[in-house]
Amino acid sequence: MLSRVVLSAAATAAPSLKNAAFLGPGVLQATRTFHTGQPHLAPIPPLPEYGGKVRYGLIPEEFFQFLYPKTGVTGPYVLGTGLILYALSKEIYVITAETFTAMSLIGIMVYGIKKYGPTVAAYADKINEQKLAQLEEAKQSSIQQMQNAIDTEKSQQALTQKRHYLFDVQRNNIAMALEVTYRERLYRVYKEVKSRLDYHIAVQNMTRRKEQEHMINWVEKHVVQSISAEQEKETVAKCIADLKLLAKKAQAPLVIYNLPFLKMKSLFHIVREQNLYRPVKCFSSFLLCL
Amino acid sequence: MNENLFTPFSAPTILNQPATIPIILFPTLLILTPKHPINNRLATIQQNLTRFTLKQMMMTHNAKGQTWSLMLTSLITFTATTNLLGLMPYSFTPTTQLSMNLAMAIPLWAGTVMVGLRFKTKNSLAHLLPQGTPTPLIPMLVAIETISLLIQPVALAVRLTANITAGHLLMHLIGNTVLALSTTNLSMALLASTLLVLLTILEIAVALIQAYVFTLLISLYLRNNT
Repeated sequence: MLSRVVLSAAATAAPSLKNAAFLGPGVLQATRTFHTGQPHLAPIPPLPEYGGKVRYGLIPEEFFQFLYPKTGVTGPYVLGTGLILYALSKEIYVITAETFTAMSLIGIMVYGIKKYGPTVAAYADKINEQKLAQLEEAKQSSIQQMQNAIDTEKSQQALTQKRHYLFDVQRNNIAMALEVTYRERLYRVYKEVKSRLDYHIAVQNMTRRKEQEHMINWVEKHVVQSISAEQEKETVAKCIADLKLLAKKAQAPLVIYNLPFLKMKSLFHIVREQNLYRPVKCFSSFLLCL
Repeated sequence: MNENLFTPFSAPTILNQPATIPIILFPTLLILTPKHPINNRLATIQQNLTRFTLKQMMMTHNAKGQTWSLMLTSLITFTATTNLLGLMPYSFTPTTQLSMNLAMAIPLWAGTVMVGLRFKTKNSLAHLLPQGTPTPLIPMLVAIETISLLIQPVALAVRLTANITAGHLLMHLIGNTVLALSTTNLSMALLASTLLVLLTILEIAVALIQAYVFTLLISLYLRNNT
């Protein structure tokens, strides 16, 4: 291609070179230029969609219009009749067998066209319509796609305007989470402190209880120690008398119960049922003294 | 008035110049070849008809047979248009000439046979014997089938010629009858003209049917051999 450029440059520089045939056979191919004619300055007019109007299927309407100023409406018809009669009478057109075949053929053709013409035309129109509809459909779908893309883009842009809602919600969430963690930790601190304090209180309570018990034991011990011998005897005798009374009282209800079983009942059960703790304690203390 | 009944079938001349070839090529002027997708009604109908015949004819062939689609479609279009144009008064129909029909039939038939023998020798030779023949009859039947094979192109050509020529002749004869009777007995003339009308309808049908039959038979021979 560079060679072509060089050659054309050389041709413009020295016009005589263009006609030099001894430059080689390839030069002719290289210097052949296309599109030398004038280009069309405007789009070529489109083909007409329908043919010109004709009368009786043969004679164009323009002929009738042409004769109208001079001969009016009946002019062409008179002309036609005259021509036909002239041809027939002078035997320029001879009536032969073919005439009748022509008449029958033309009759059949006219009948057929009149009867089935519109249907066939409608069918052809339908086919064309379908083709156009297909192309139109393609165009419309492509436009629709573009429109959808535009709308999607617009909605995306609108969404970015509303992003701050999302950020607010997220911020709120984080703040809530922080608050919750803070409160949890506060509660844990509170619980720890409380447990420590509880411990101290428990220790205090325990020491007080221990002191109490110890004091009670000490007092009891001293009281027991302080009980003299005859006081002891007095108390024991009283206890025995009480026990005898109680035993008498207890004899009657004892009959209701199952006596053999009751015999197996231990002394402990008897004491518990009959509230004999106090007398038993006295009795035991009496025994201890002995 | 023609000298004899067969002058319409002689070689056509225009001012003593032979005009056969232009007349044979005339139907091509009537076949439109538009380049746009959307055309006027005539072009749409022609396109539709072509597509319809093509589909009907070539649907039954395999890929090898479908390489003949252009040949067969152009054959049926040419025969149909030529036959229909021949119905016009004072026209010349090339298909009434045996020479023309033989020139169409023999190469096409020979083509199908050669394709069959070249690519599917066994199959195409097997067509010479119908299925289920008793064994003693086989030699005779092979001979008969070979003769019927060899007679196919002649049959094709003669069938087309005879049908079209006979139809044209009948139309001429009945036209003459109507002409003769129109001066003597008008009612008989009207009767005869009714007959003429019916005959014209028949001729239109025959024109189309003959084209169809011709092409169909060739496609049949092709199917047997691919």
